[in-house]
Amino acid sequence: MIQLFKMALRDLGRNRRRSFFSSLALGMGLALLLLMASFIKGEMGSAIDLTIRLQSGHLQVRANSYDEVKTSLKWEDLVEDPDQVASQIAALEPVKFATPRLFASGIVAVRDESAGVRIFGIDPLSEANAPYRDGLVSGQFLTSDDREGILIGAPLAERLDLKVGDVATLSVNTSNGDVDEQAFAIRGIYSTQTNGFDSFTVFLPLAKAQTITQAGNHASTILVMLKDIDQTQAVFNALQSSKLKVITWEEMNALILQTEEFAAAYMVVLYLIVLAITATVIMNTLIMAVFERTREIGILAALGMKGRRITAMFLAESSMLAVGGIILGLVLGSLVVAYLTRFGFYIGNMGISGMLIGNTIYPDLTVEDTVTLSITALVVTLLAGLYPAILAARMEPVEALRGGK
Amino acid sequence: MRLYFRLAWRNMWRHTRRTFIIVVAMGLGLALMMFYDGIVAGFNQAIYGNAIKVLGGNIQVHAEGYRLKADRMPLLPLTDAQAVVDAASADPRVESATRRINTGGLASSVEGAFAVGITGIEPEQEQTVNLAAQHVIAGRYLKADDGDVIFIGKGLAEAMGVGVGDRIALSGRSKHEQMRRRTMTVIGIYDLGMAEIEKRTIYISLAEAQDLYNLTGQSTEVAIVLRMLGQESVVIEALKPKLPGYEVESWETNFPELQSALGTKGGVMNIFSVIILMIAGIGILNLLLMAVYERTREIGLLGALGFRPSQISLIFVLEGTMIGLVGVVVGIGIGLLINGMLMRVGLDYSQFGNITTYMALIEGRIYPGWGVDKLASRALTVAIISALAALIPAREAAHNEPAKALHFV
Repeated sequence: MIQLFKMALRDLGRNRRRSFFSSLALGMGLALLLLMASFIKGEMGSAIDLTIRLQSGHLQVRANSYDEVKTSLKWEDLVEDPDQVASQIAALEPVKFATPRLFASGIVAVRDESAGVRIFGIDPLSEANAPYRDGLVSGQFLTSDDREGILIGAPLAERLDLKVGDVATLSVNTSNGDVDEQAFAIRGIYSTQTNGFDSFTVFLPLAKAQTITQAGNHASTILVMLKDIDQTQAVFNALQSSKLKVITWEEMNALILQTEEFAAAYMVVLYLIVLAITATVIMNTLIMAVFERTREIGILAALGMKGRRITAMFLAESSMLAVGGIILGLVLGSLVVAYLTRFGFYIGNMGISGMLIGNTIYPDLTVEDTVTLSITALVVTLLAGLYPAILAARMEPVEALRGGK
Repeated sequence: MRLYFRLAWRNMWRHTRRTFIIVVAMGLGLALMMFYDGIVAGFNQAIYGNAIKVLGGNIQVHAEGYRLKADRMPLLPLTDAQAVVDAASADPRVESATRRINTGGLASSVEGAFAVGITGIEPEQEQTVNLAAQHVIAGRYLKADDGDVIFIGKGLAEAMGVGVGDRIALSGRSKHEQMRRRTMTVIGIYDLGMAEIEKRTIYISLAEAQDLYNLTGQSTEVAIVLRMLGQESVVIEALKPKLPGYEVESWETNFPELQSALGTKGGVMNIFSVIILMIAGIGILNLLLMAVYERTREIGLLGALGFRPSQISLIFVLEGTMIGLVGVVVGIGIGLLINGMLMRVGLDYSQFGNITTYMALIEGRIYPGWGVDKLASRALTVAIISALAALIPAREAAHNEPAKALHFV
């Protein structure tokens, strides 16, 4: 066995440049696959993280009849006395924090221009606001007793040409089905680097939001963040009650999970094509090697080497090519991924609003993907090497000896 | 020159199996690009058809300065809307040109509230071209003198829990003024089979919109419907000189994010395909290296016959390029096969309607195109990469010393 590998290594060394290029082809293919896989992981992983952090939380507690799509403000669709419910939930051990939020639809208008927005009534003191507070671009964050101030996202501010201190009219739907409007001052402008969120989300202090929407002492939801995401199911069970319904982040992010599956299916097509091309290149190199060495193979066979062993020798050769290629691919791939992880890949505004995807994607290369793809590359290379190896084994010793030049 | 081509072509087929395998590799690379181009085309096609239906025309004419603010739906009145309508109607390719007012607003009922696009239309003039008018499922379509009534989509009606005769509050801003709010009665409901889009589009009569938004006698858009699809750019070019001071544009301008999304994805795909072609290019490189080695004596002979090194190089570069081009032919075959199959099955995108405004325009499935629109530039890429791959072996061949090469065994 060792002897086989020794021979294979020497054979590869006979035409170093060719062997190098074959490995390079495999390496480039593998690097490309690693990049694509890490990209999708990065995009989807960050989409889920972002949504949890910015919007959905790990769990939400809502009234049974609440329908997220409608942003209803009817009292029977809302959570009554939210502060008390929130503090009860926050008392649970795995819960990091729980905070009430009130959602409404509205329009921000300045001069002749306007934009449809979602209004988030938030408790300004809650830790849950960290992503918005840390993302403040200018101005101040909201305070609990602010009755005239709103916080808007940077893209919206830019679109409507608003600066801190400017006044904009906000129209909001109310619990009786009407629309109310009031002029607000822009207290601050935030950016979470997520266009789909920042363009459409306006923050108001919860108390003010309750007043303007005539929601009384109600909230749309209690947003719950856990210390550990793995506790979701346990807390979900603990929170079950007849009056309120509990929703997990998995339910709220079903669309992202679906998209991930779809993207994965699309990627399989790409993988197959890339691997097929790589395989043909390797197969061709080995076929050439077989024909070059027709006489040698004849000698080996004449000396009594069995066909199976000749096959094994060529397979050893292709497996070494594969190993070389995989090493090259891992090096190339991790260099590119490391670069992109550091600097990110800016995707700009794709108008994605139904799903939160950051403006910049940072690829995420997992060990699992690396191992799976490397093994796939190895298997494909061995399969590609099978045909030339069998070709070599089938040669008749006598003819092979006479063949060649 | 023909001699070189003949030599290269013959050399290429001396080892059929070898060449064939590389040709397949190149072909797969090209097929991948065609597959992508096909999907993009299908995507565009799916959006295109519905965008025209929803936007109410292949071409929109706006006042100067609208484009910059298109995503805010500004109330920028046209200087002389009637003149625009007349100019457009004079073109024989135009089926109809109608005035509209487009703005954003908030529709609310007890059930909840939705940000919507409010479109004021000339009901009679649009009767034959407006899809919503042709798909009324309850109540009736609008009339010119209708006041305080709105025509909404089934998607919105369901989400808001309203039917014909129910009242909903409609708010929107008006020119030079605060927000305007009015309670209106649902007069009719249309069904286009695109719930997401229906949620965002409600119609009122132009007169009502002019009144509501302080635009007496004015409008913000002229929507032009063409008799035939695909003539947008020709008609736009014809109209532009006649309409100075107006922005005459096709539907694409209304979806700037779509262009940016396609641009980014296309860029990424271009890089990917170049890498993939480079992998296949390595195949050509290896094959030619081998060929140079095998043909040492021949090369010596050519050298002895007086071929200059550059000419010998040329033969090899040509051989590499030809392999690439035969790969293109094979690739077109594979690509057409893949796209042809996908065209029959279609790709299901319906679940992504919520993600972006333009995705909502896709109903159900996407049927890819043949992916041949960019074929020329794709084939050129293949040819260039193949030629580059052949450079190293070609240099090698040229450096052979004729006398030594002839003696090579």
